[in-house]
Amino acid sequence: MSSIVSPIRRPLIEGNKTYHDITEDICAPTERAPSLAWIIAFILAVTFLAIYLVCLVITVWGGIGTWDLNRTIGWGWDITNFVWWVGIGHAGTLISAILLLFRQKWRTGVNRAAEAMTIFAVICAGQFPLIHMGRQWMGFFIFPYPNSRGPLWVNFNSPLLWDVFAISTYFTVSLLFWYTGLVPDLATVRDRAKGIRKKFYEVASFGWTGKAKHWQRWESLSLILAGLATPLVLSVHTIVSFDFATSVIPGWHTTIFPPYFVAGAIFSGFAMVQSLMVIARKVFDLQEYITLEHIESMNKVILLTGMLVGTAYLTELFIAWYSGYIYEQYAFFNRVFGPYWWSYVGMMSCNVLAPLIFWSKKARRSIFITFFMSIFINIGMWFERFVIIATTLARDYLPSSWSYYSPTWVEIGLFLGSLGLFFTCFLIFARVAPVIAIAEVKHILKSSGDQYIDKNSKHYVEVVEKELA
Amino acid sequence: MKDNQQKDQTWIGLKDISKDPEYIAEVHSEFRDVPISKLLVGHQNESLTTSRRDFLKILGFSVTAASIAACDAPVRRAIPYVHRPEEIVPGVPTYYASTYVDGGDYCSILVKTREGRPIKIEGNSMSPITGQGTSARAQAHVLSLYDLSRFRQPLIDGAKSSWQEVDQLIVSKLNSGSKIGIISRTILSPTFKKILAEFKTKYPNTQIAMYDPFSAAAQLAANEKSYGIRAIPNYHFDQAEVIVSFNADFLGTWISPVEYSADYIKNRKVDPKNPKMSWHVQIENNMSLTGSNADNRILVKPSEQDAAIAYLCNALGGTPLGSTSVNPEAAKALDRVATKLKAAGSKSLIVSASNNMAAQLMVNQMNDILGNLGTTLDMNTPSYQKQGDERSLKKLISDMEAGSMDAVFVLDGNPAFDNPWAGAFKTAAEKVGLMVSLATASDETAELSQVVAPKHHLLESWGDAEPKKGFLSLIQPTISPLFDTRQAETSLLKWSGAAPEIFEDDQPYYNYLKQNWLQAGLDWDTSVHDGIAQGSIPSAEVFSTKALPDLSTQSSTPLNADLELQFYESINIGSGQHANNPWLQEMPDPVMRTVWGNYLSVPVTWSGGMDYDSFNDLKDGDFAELTLGENNKTVTVMNQFGQMPGTVGIALGYGRRSVGAAGINIGTNLYDMMTEGQDGLFQYFVADVKLSGKVGKEKDIPAVQYHHSMGVTDIDPKTGKKVNVDEITAPSIKKGYQGSLVDRSIIRRANLEDVETFIEELHEERAKFEKLNSKTLYPYEEYKENYYEQGHHWGLAIDLNACIGCGACTVSCMAENNVPVVGKREVERHHEMAWLRIDRYFYGDVNNPNTVYQPLMCQHCDNAPCENVCPVAATNHSSEGLNQMTYNRCIGTRYCANNCPYKVRRFNWLDYTTADLFPINQPKLNGEIFGNDDLTRMVLNPDVTVRSRGVIEKCSFCVQRIQDGKLTAKKEGRALKDGEIKSACQTACPTGAIVFGDFNNEESELVKNIHNGLTYQVLEEINVRPSVNYSAKIINRDHKLDA
Repeated sequence: MSSIVSPIRRPLIEGNKTYHDITEDICAPTERAPSLAWIIAFILAVTFLAIYLVCLVITVWGGIGTWDLNRTIGWGWDITNFVWWVGIGHAGTLISAILLLFRQKWRTGVNRAAEAMTIFAVICAGQFPLIHMGRQWMGFFIFPYPNSRGPLWVNFNSPLLWDVFAISTYFTVSLLFWYTGLVPDLATVRDRAKGIRKKFYEVASFGWTGKAKHWQRWESLSLILAGLATPLVLSVHTIVSFDFATSVIPGWHTTIFPPYFVAGAIFSGFAMVQSLMVIARKVFDLQEYITLEHIESMNKVILLTGMLVGTAYLTELFIAWYSGYIYEQYAFFNRVFGPYWWSYVGMMSCNVLAPLIFWSKKARRSIFITFFMSIFINIGMWFERFVIIATTLARDYLPSSWSYYSPTWVEIGLFLGSLGLFFTCFLIFARVAPVIAIAEVKHILKSSGDQYIDKNSKHYVEVVEKELA
Repeated sequence: MKDNQQKDQTWIGLKDISKDPEYIAEVHSEFRDVPISKLLVGHQNESLTTSRRDFLKILGFSVTAASIAACDAPVRRAIPYVHRPEEIVPGVPTYYASTYVDGGDYCSILVKTREGRPIKIEGNSMSPITGQGTSARAQAHVLSLYDLSRFRQPLIDGAKSSWQEVDQLIVSKLNSGSKIGIISRTILSPTFKKILAEFKTKYPNTQIAMYDPFSAAAQLAANEKSYGIRAIPNYHFDQAEVIVSFNADFLGTWISPVEYSADYIKNRKVDPKNPKMSWHVQIENNMSLTGSNADNRILVKPSEQDAAIAYLCNALGGTPLGSTSVNPEAAKALDRVATKLKAAGSKSLIVSASNNMAAQLMVNQMNDILGNLGTTLDMNTPSYQKQGDERSLKKLISDMEAGSMDAVFVLDGNPAFDNPWAGAFKTAAEKVGLMVSLATASDETAELSQVVAPKHHLLESWGDAEPKKGFLSLIQPTISPLFDTRQAETSLLKWSGAAPEIFEDDQPYYNYLKQNWLQAGLDWDTSVHDGIAQGSIPSAEVFSTKALPDLSTQSSTPLNADLELQFYESINIGSGQHANNPWLQEMPDPVMRTVWGNYLSVPVTWSGGMDYDSFNDLKDGDFAELTLGENNKTVTVMNQFGQMPGTVGIALGYGRRSVGAAGINIGTNLYDMMTEGQDGLFQYFVADVKLSGKVGKEKDIPAVQYHHSMGVTDIDPKTGKKVNVDEITAPSIKKGYQGSLVDRSIIRRANLEDVETFIEELHEERAKFEKLNSKTLYPYEEYKENYYEQGHHWGLAIDLNACIGCGACTVSCMAENNVPVVGKREVERHHEMAWLRIDRYFYGDVNNPNTVYQPLMCQHCDNAPCENVCPVAATNHSSEGLNQMTYNRCIGTRYCANNCPYKVRRFNWLDYTTADLFPINQPKLNGEIFGNDDLTRMVLNPDVTVRSRGVIEKCSFCVQRIQDGKLTAKKEGRALKDGEIKSACQTACPTGAIVFGDFNNEESELVKNIHNGLTYQVLEEINVRPSVNYSAKIINRDHKLDA
C-alpha cells in the first residue's frame, strides 16, 4: 500500500482510532451476545430458507411441471435467478482483486463483506442450474469424468458446460481469496477468545502467529490470487452471457452480450454490497470504518456501470433497427411494446434512469437514497435478466408458438428462498468472522485515518512534534 | 510336518525332495498364529490388509451403494409365451385388413398388431374409396379398444350379470306380438341388415328407427324424388373445376371426408409448369375446415342458406323453390359464382348440407342444369353412408311416450344424448317395458337401460360394410374379446330365436357372415385378406321412410334475427361418440386450435385500433351466457376469424354426462338448444339467440396457438391504405409495424395467377439465403460430403396446398410414437406433447380470410442448433441426417428447446407416462390419468421408448420404421426402395401431403417433389439446414368476388 495519499482525499477511518480500537470495534460483533436485530433477521432468513427447501422438494418430487414454464418458454425465473445471483457475485472479486491491483484504499472497508457476499451469491446461483434440470438426480452427467456410461463424454460445444467450469473456477478462487484474507483476522479473534471459541478459531486460523514470514507469504498469495481472479471477473459473466449469445434466438444472438453482462454484473454486485453495508455498518456500529467516503466511492462505480448498461440497452435497440433483420427487429420491438412491456419499463427505470441521481454529490452521500437506489438496482437487474430470458423466448420466430409465462408459487418460493439461503449464510458469517478486514484496515490507518490527514492532521503533527521535542 | 523326510512321504514339488532349507522354513511357518495382515506387510499387496477403519469404510460404502442401487425405475414383468401362437413372431408386427365403421363414417384400414395387441391403424391402400388415407377418428379408434369405461360384462339393472341371464330375461319378455323398437344410426352392414330382417320376421311388430345425429334425411328424400334412389350421390370432386359448397364440410365431417379430401386435392396440387387448379367457393357463416381451404368464402347467415341456394338456382336459370332474398354482398358474389359455374358447365359440382328437402331439390336441379350428373356426381354407385331419418326416431319416442312399446333395443347411437329430443327420450324410456342398450362403453342411453348387452369393440368383431353400391368391405377381429362381450349380431340372432346349433360354435356370427358372403359368390379368403371386395350381397330393406309424411317442397325464408347460432360437427368428437377418446380430445380443433371442449366462435372485426373488436367485447377464454328462450348456458368464447358478423358457432357432441373419465363434463352440451324444422328434421342453427358480455374467464385458454394470423389485411380508416392488421395488433402497448409478420420466411403463398412471378421471387430470395449461408463456421460441406451423401439422407416434403389440416397425421403420430396425453389443464399451460402439430394461419382480408395449414415437426436440421447446446450430448446427429434424441442421457436443461427456432421440442414436465423414478406421484396428475392404466398401456408401441419425466422428446422421423425398412432390405439382400419406408404421418394423410424419402435417391418421390419450383424451407436464412421442405401454398382466389 502506498503511503502517499493525496491531500484532497477524505479520511477512510474516522473517530481517531488506534490499532487497538480497530481490533476492539471490529471483533466486537463476534464476541458479544447477538443483538435483537440480528436474532429477528436470522429467524426471518431461516424461515425463507425453509421455504426454499420446501419448494425444492416439491420441484424434485413433482417435476418441473410444478412450475409454469411451457413448450415455448423453457427458462423463466430459474435461469433469471441464476444470472442475477451470478451477477451479484461479481462485486466481491472486483473489489478484492481489481481494486487491490489498482491500490484503491477504500476497498479495505468493504472487501471482506463483499467477498463473503460473493461466495454466498455464487452458492445461491449454483442452486438454479441444478434445480432447473428435469432430472436433477442425473445432474452429475455434466461433469467430465471417466464413467461407465459408454464412457459418455460431455459436449464441449455447449455453453452450459462452459458455465459449469466458469462458475466452479470462480467459486474456488473466490473462496480461497476470501479465506486467505480471513486467516490473520481469525487469528486476532483467536488471541482474544477463550475456551471452545478459542479452539475453533485456532483451527480456523491455521496456526497463524503473525511472523514476518507469514505476512510476506500472505501478501504474495493475496497478489497471486488477485491476479488469478482479475480475468475471472470478466470471464464468468462473459461465459454466462454465451448461454444466450451463441444461440440462434433473436434477442439472444447478440455480440454485445459479454461486455454488457459484465457491466451489469458489477452494477448489481455493487448495489447488493451497498444494501448490505448500509445495514451492517449501522447494526454492528461500524460507521467509522464504512464511512460515507466508502459509500460515495461505490456510488460512483454504480453510476458508471449504470450508464454502461444504459448504453448497452440503447445500442441493442439501435443495432436491432440497423440490422434490417425482421426477427431481430421484432424481438426488440416486442421487448419494449409486447406483452412484457412492464418488465422492460421496470428494467429501464431502475437501471438507467434511477442511478442518474448519483450525479449529485448530495445523493451519493445520502444513506437513505443510497439504500433505496441499491434496492431499485437489484430489482432492475432482476428485470433485465427476465427481459432477456422470458420475453425473448415468449415470442420468437414462429408466431404459432408464441406464448406467455407467469410463475407458480413454487418458482416464487424458490427465489425468495434463495434470498433466505443467502441471508442465513451472511448472518452467520457476520457473527463468526470479522466483517471488516482488520489487518487491512490497520494497514491504511496511518495514511487514511482521520487523525492523520485532513484538518485533524495538524493536531497530530503538533502532538508528534511536542513529543519529539 | 517334521516327518517329511520319510520315504513314503508324498511330495508336491521338486523343492520337497531337494530339502531346500529356505523352503522348509517357509513350510514350517505356514500356520503361524500371527494375523495374516502382519505377515504380509512389506512384501505383499497392501490392499489385502484390512483394518477396522477400512472395514467400516467398506461397510459404509456398501450400504450406501446398496441403497442407491435400490432406487431404480419400477420393474414391470412380462410373461413369455410358453407355446408360440400361430402368426405371432415376437417383435414382428402382423397387419390385418379391416374396416373402420362408425355409423356412416367409413374407412378401409389395416390394423397393426404386435404380440396379439392391435396398436396402430393405417389406411388400406387397396381400397378404391378411402385408399391409403385415414381420418383422425379412424386413427384413434385403436385407443377406444382399451377404453376403461367399456362394459366388462352384461348388466341387468346396473348389476353384473351373465349372457345366459340376459338372454333369458329378454326372450321371456318378448313374444311374437310384442311391440319392439330398434334404434340405430346408419347401418352399412348388409349382413347385419339381413339379421335385422330375420328379427323382424320373428317379431313382426318391430319398428326400426334409424337416425343420424348429423342428418342427411332431406338430401336422401330429395334424391329419391329427383333420381328415384334414396341414397347419397357418388361425388367426384377430382372431376370438378368449380366446386360450390353450401355449408357442407366435405373435407372435415360431411358424408365421406377421407374419400372427398383425396379426390378434392387431385385438382388442387399445382404444377408450376402448367399452373391450374380447381376453384372452390364455400357459402357459410362459421369457419369450417372446408371453408378454411376454400379459395373464396361467401358469408350468409344460417337462415339465409336456403335463400342463397334459391338465389343461385335462379341465377342459373332454375326454378327457385322459395325466397331468394340474401344479403347484398352475398347476392353479388353469387352472381359471379353463377357466371363461373356456367363457364365450367358439367365440370362443376354443387353440394349442400342443408337439411331441407326443397334446398336439396334445388341443388339437384342446379347440378342437372349444369350437366353434372354423370361427370362430377353419379347415382349408379351411390353412397349409403347416410341412411337415417330422424323423424323415425321422433315417432318411436312418441310411441314410447304413449306407453305402447314393450321393448326398445338401442343398437348404435346414443339417443339419450345426441339429438334435440334426448330429454323426451329419457322420460319416454321410463314407460318402456324393457330398455336394452348394446353400447360398448358407458353412455347416457345405457345408463337408463334395464339391460346392457355390450357388443364387441370393432377391432374384436366380425362384420361387413357396403359404403357404396357394389363396394364391399370386411371387418375382421384383431384380438380376442378383452371382456365378456358379444357381437350385436350374435345377440340379435339369439333373441330372434335362431337355430340353437349355430351357437355351439365359438363365433356364431363368423359362420353366418361367411355363409352370407359365400352365397353371394364372393371369394371369402381373398376378401378377408384384402379387407375389400367388389360385388354385392343381398341386404334386406329394413328401414323405410314410406310411412313418414312427405317433406315440404318450399324452402325456408331468411329470418331477421340479430344473432344466429350455427351448430356443427367437430372433426374429432363427432356427435359425442368419441368423447372418451383422449387422443381425439387432445387433438386440436384444426380451425380453432382448441382442445378438450367446445368453444363458441364469435366474430372479430377491426376498426383501426390497437386491438380487434369482438362481439360484445368477448375475448378468448371469456365465459358468456348464451340464451335461447328459457334455455341458458354458460359457454367459453374464442374469437374466430372468418366468422360472419351476426352469427356465432359452436360444436355439438360435447358436455357428456355419463361417459368414461376422459369425456365427462368436457365442454357444453347444446343438443337441447337445437330445433327441428317445419318438417320435423334437425336444423343445425337457431336464430334469435342472445349472447351476454363477459361473465367470467377461464384461467387459461386450452388453445395450442395464441397468435392466429400472418398478414390479415384491412383498410386503415385513418390513412385509407391497406395494412396488415395482425402486425398492428400483435404488440401490447403500441401499434406494431408493417412487415413484422408477413416478411418472415415461414409461410410462402401466392395466388394462382401470380405463380410465375412468385416462383421467380422465391428463387431469388433462396439464392440470397444460400449466399448468406455459405459464410459459416460450420463445416457443413465437409459433413455433407463425408456423411450425408454417403448412405441415406432422410427428409420430408410437405405440400401446403395438399394439407387440408384434418389432423389425421397428428393422431397417427401420437399412436405410433407413444406420445402421452396430458389433459386439459396441462394444455392450458402449453404443456402439450404432440411431436407433430399443424400450425394454422389466417391471411388476406381480415373479414373473410384465407387459411394456410402448416404441419410442423422436428426439421432434422443438418446444422441443428439444439445439438451443440446440450451439455451432455443427449441430442446428436446421425450420419443419415437424423437429429437423434437419447432419452437416457437427457438431464432436462431444456436448452435445446429454447434454441429450437421451430419450437418442436417437447419436455416431460410431469410424469405423464408413469415411467418415473418415483412411483408415488403417479396417481395425481391434476386428477387426470390417461394412458397410465395397464389396460390403456396395451396400445403402446413396443418399438418406441416410453419417456420418463424430465426429458426432452421430439419427432424422430419414425426412426423405428426407418430401421425396420433398412433391416428388411438388408435381410433380403437388396437396396432399399423408395416408398418402402413411410413415416406415420405420411401413412395417415388422406391427401398425400407428406412425403418421406431419401435425398440421395435421385429417383425418389421426395427429390422429385423438392424440385418442383415451389419448394422452400422454413427460416432458411438462419442456416440451420432443415431436412423438411415445404411447397408453397397457392390459392385460386377470385378477387372479383370480393369487390
